[in-house]
Amino acid sequence: MDLDLARQAQDGDESAFAEIVRRYSPRVFSVASRFFRQRTLVEEAAQEVFLKAFTQLGSFEGRGSFEGWLTRIATNTCLNMVRGAKRRPEFTVSDLTDDEQGWLEQQSAGDGGEPASVETSLVATDLADRLLSVLSPEDQQALLMIDGEQASIKEVAEATGWSESKVKVRAFRARRKVREAMEKLLSYKKKRADSAAD
Amino acid sequence: MKDKHITEILDNASIATLSESELNDVRAHVLECMSCRGAFEAARISGVVMKSRAQAAIEPSPFFQTRVMAALREQQAVESVPAMLRLWSSAKALVSTMAVTTAALAVVSFMQPAQTTSVPEQTASVYSEYSVILDQDADDQMSYEQVLSTIYEDEDDAR
Repeated sequence: MDLDLARQAQDGDESAFAEIVRRYSPRVFSVASRFFRQRTLVEEAAQEVFLKAFTQLGSFEGRGSFEGWLTRIATNTCLNMVRGAKRRPEFTVSDLTDDEQGWLEQQSAGDGGEPASVETSLVATDLADRLLSVLSPEDQQALLMIDGEQASIKEVAEATGWSESKVKVRAFRARRKVREAMEKLLSYKKKRADSAAD
Repeated sequence: MKDKHITEILDNASIATLSESELNDVRAHVLECMSCRGAFEAARISGVVMKSRAQAAIEPSPFFQTRVMAALREQQAVESVPAMLRLWSSAKALVSTMAVTTAALAVVSFMQPAQTTSVPEQTASVYSEYSVILDQDADDQMSYEQVLSTIYEDEDDAR
């Protein structure tokens, strides 16, 4: 079915390609959202993915799923866009906001359940971006897919084109770096809370 | 297991995927090891924020499909135009401006009559060295009546 659509689109059937865009936009947006937080950037990346996919339709032979093929294009396109973008600010603990401090205290005291409200979810997402800034874009991918989306090593390997051992190494390294960064944040939070109490 | 640090376990997999026996070992260890307790807490909270980040996916807008199709048509239109034509379309404004400027310069240079720089004769004679040295000013010359009166005055004196 997907192969037929791809062939029709390649032969110039505009409605076939429109159907591909409609069917796979959520998947491409989901991939692009791992790399970007702003809607405009996510849309720009997704559009780039579909334009690239259109020019490469001939290379899809129908061996794997069309979604898998498109996901790999999306991942590589977004990785290239992130690599070409200007560097993000480096990880620091001193600019921890009050909201973040409060959220961390709540998590330390509780059982580490998922954030309840939209507001706390935004704080958690901001904290995640802060932690992810210590990683390379490739390591971020591996960690977000495995620990965030509960993807398997094999799924990450298929989406990125990396070997499974490479994915494991990236995930291990990313997890350790993020854990160490979080330990620094928690330690800073504790110091700040102690000094406020004095 | 109680004496073995657990950071290796924490970095190998997310806490959510650890088996019950692994989790029991970890919990037993962190009760006695302060550094691993901090590592466990950090790994646990990191897992929560990563899940939260993964859920922050943006949904496509209703206009996205239209936008992509428009971009595709634009890309195809650009690709269908030959390279020289594309070059011309981008450079034609510059080339036209240059052509108009050249034509205007040609008109100014060849069609307009040349301006002479000769000085009027009168002016030249007025300011020539001859006139400056020898000529007297018109105010210094005597009128006809003055000449006649001067002659007759001399004759009367003689009588």
